[in-house]
Amino acid sequence: MTLCSRRDFIKGLAAGSALALTPLPLLGAEETPRTLAIARWQGEALGEATLDAAAGRLTERAIAALGGMGRFVTKGDRVWVKPNIGWNRSPAQAANTHPAVVGALVRLCLEAGAKSVRVGDHTCHEPRQTYATSGIAAAVAAAGGEMVTLDPARCRRVALGGKRLKEWELFPEILEADLVINAPIAKHHGLSRTTACMKNYMGVVGGNRSVWHQDFATCLVDITAFLKPRLCVLDATRVLLRHGPQGGNLEDVATPGLVAAGADIVALDALAAELIGLAPAELPVLKAGVAAGLGSLDYRAQAGAELAVS
Amino acid sequence: MTARGRARRLIWLRRGVQAASLALFVGLLLAMRPPESGAPSPRLGFYFHLDPLLLVGAWLGGERLAGPALLALATLALTVLLGRVFCGWLCPLGALHNALSWLGWRSAARRRETDGLSRWQRAKYWLLVALLVMAVGGAHWTGVFDPQSLLYRSLTTGLLPGLDWGISAGAAAIFQADPQLGPLHLTALSEPLYRFWRDALLAGREFVFAGGGLILALLLALLALNLWRPRFWCRYLCPLGALLGACAGRTALRLTPTGTCGACQRCLLRCPAAAQPEKPGQWLPEECFGCWNCVASCGEDALDFRWQWPWRRPAAARVDLGRRALVGAGLAGLGALLVFKLPPSARAKTFGPELIRPPGALAEGDFLARCVQCGLCMQVCPTGALQPAIDQAGLAGLWTPVLVPRLGYCEHGCALCGQVCPTGAIAPLALAEKQALSIGLATIDTTRCLPYVYGRECIVCEEHCPVPTKAIYFVETEVTLRGGERRVLKQPRVEPTLCTGCGICETKCPFADRAAIRVTSANESRHPANQPLLPGGTESVGSNPYGA
Repeated sequence: MTLCSRRDFIKGLAAGSALALTPLPLLGAEETPRTLAIARWQGEALGEATLDAAAGRLTERAIAALGGMGRFVTKGDRVWVKPNIGWNRSPAQAANTHPAVVGALVRLCLEAGAKSVRVGDHTCHEPRQTYATSGIAAAVAAAGGEMVTLDPARCRRVALGGKRLKEWELFPEILEADLVINAPIAKHHGLSRTTACMKNYMGVVGGNRSVWHQDFATCLVDITAFLKPRLCVLDATRVLLRHGPQGGNLEDVATPGLVAAGADIVALDALAAELIGLAPAELPVLKAGVAAGLGSLDYRAQAGAELAVS
Repeated sequence: MTARGRARRLIWLRRGVQAASLALFVGLLLAMRPPESGAPSPRLGFYFHLDPLLLVGAWLGGERLAGPALLALATLALTVLLGRVFCGWLCPLGALHNALSWLGWRSAARRRETDGLSRWQRAKYWLLVALLVMAVGGAHWTGVFDPQSLLYRSLTTGLLPGLDWGISAGAAAIFQADPQLGPLHLTALSEPLYRFWRDALLAGREFVFAGGGLILALLLALLALNLWRPRFWCRYLCPLGALLGACAGRTALRLTPTGTCGACQRCLLRCPAAAQPEKPGQWLPEECFGCWNCVASCGEDALDFRWQWPWRRPAAARVDLGRRALVGAGLAGLGALLVFKLPPSARAKTFGPELIRPPGALAEGDFLARCVQCGLCMQVCPTGALQPAIDQAGLAGLWTPVLVPRLGYCEHGCALCGQVCPTGAIAPLALAEKQALSIGLATIDTTRCLPYVYGRECIVCEEHCPVPTKAIYFVETEVTLRGGERRVLKQPRVEPTLCTGCGICETKCPFADRAAIRVTSANESRHPANQPLLPGGTESVGSNPYGA
């Protein structure tokens, strides 16, 4: 197992960064930065109206527990926020990342001194309608970010050096960004049974990406290893339990009221799987992620206690 | 001020109005786009509501007339009062022909011989009669020849895709090569221009239409004919011009000799309609566009348009259509009707599997009687799924919209095509109504589908199925691989009671040639006779019919 060494490495990295950067004052209390943070809503019951504010505050809390956005964003950075904006569905249908989570990330990046924060996804449905219906276009505009429609004709063929993916078409916006924030929603998926952070990277590639379905685990490990995630933010304010990844039925949506953040993509995907009601150790994509040394399934060991937000 | 001086000013006004009308037509076309929410304004179909030929065609096809289409009555009233000023001042296609006629310079001597009245100008009336006879019989080709439809369809399916390809491919080539002039990157110029084109003008859509080349070639050929005769289309072929001409025989504004004609024939050279302004008392109000060129060109000041009560017989010639020719035209229309109705599919003996109509389309007979092949639905479709039919709908359905799932799919959360259709051929539906309809049925080709025959996982179709409870599901089936290894694969199945035939499964199937899941017109809501499945029940095959 290579997990311990990797975890120690991440811890060392975190400690080093914590020394190098002056910790930003957080909501009153100082806290030791974690490598993975889970913020859970403990306030009033979440409804359509309260969820917006809650999702934003949960996101801020989770990022703060990692030591603040300043640990990831250097002044002058060009940041790309990559939510899941795959489907022409409304926020309540839980097929796309909650717009308030995306808006909060844009705001935090700009406050940390990012030169530009751009947001986009290679949508499955028609991009213009999808950006609008998802509510993300409006949230990003309000937060001062820029929505970008990705154009497959602009992809560049890049050597990924993976097992299945020797090379593939990637969007230049992703390659040119100083930081890519992977911000998916936790959902059910027919083929991989769950979709979260690793699966979200399907939106940074062009080409005939649907062939990845034939060996999801290897392809997703290949792209994740190439992109080396530095910050993933998992939106589980709402989750889609059935008929994923686009849903449509409100009965299939649960509301855990939870946002998690960290660099360990496998741990976050394990958390997502548990929220959908699946055992992470049984999922081929996560098993392949562990085997490739991309992270650990044991998110609890890293996260410690959940952070209550109300 | 002399009549000639006033006419010269009027001509400049007319040119301005013509340019503005063409610009408005193109502007309304570009504004016909998927809005981010709600429905597009019905005013975007303005030119189709203004068009009496479409109104009469629809009425003869059995449509009850109502709503904005009654604007066409105003066009008719205007024509009765002022003559064919629609052709001379307002028609966007007429404006294009006008501009190109000006390019076709030939010597004055040559034009005196060729540009006068021709007996063939009667052809457009014969065409009109044939089209109206066909419309009564329910095989509508009015839209094939209607100038509004013709121009809109050509711009949408021919010109825009051509421009789009040129601009997109050019910008992509510059982007990938990234040429530099010293410190300057050429992309700093090309990318913003391309973004403006793609995002601002085309609303992010790619324009690709099968068969658009022929449609555009026809428009270009018609435009080129102006170099041979000025406003060739308007003089010889336009059935809308013929309809308006038939109303203009007693116009109140008449070309009147006001002096002695010197027979210089300058008015003949300037008359785009060959309406015989050069023969005092022989002017043809049915042919005249009311453009004022003749008055402005008359050196003797011997011509002017004067008001006259409509019941006063005009001192003018009549176009002699010829009774025999009219009967012949009617018979030709009947003949075309018979030819259109010959194929078995035209008599509902069979249903064309590829004849997938947009959601809300009326039953095929009614649809063909109302669709005017204008292309509004194709212009507004967010995925480029609606294509001009070539042979899918028989001759009668030439250029009517069909959904081609390999090229695009019917977006679950969209009902725009019915909301913009100017004739009600596609009924305007609320989203919930539209989502309850089927336009076809998906069929899995188990000789091609990866988990059935190639031992691999896939179910991209299941992932994309937009029905909230999934019309495509999968059954985990154990298959034996070549080396004897056994593997459990998810094999997709279709639940026919849930499938809407939207076609996204076929659009997204990883096969790029022929999809392994294909949609046909089976189960379409509009034709009970094309529904092979007993409604109700949700039990599809659960065992693997191909396994051990």
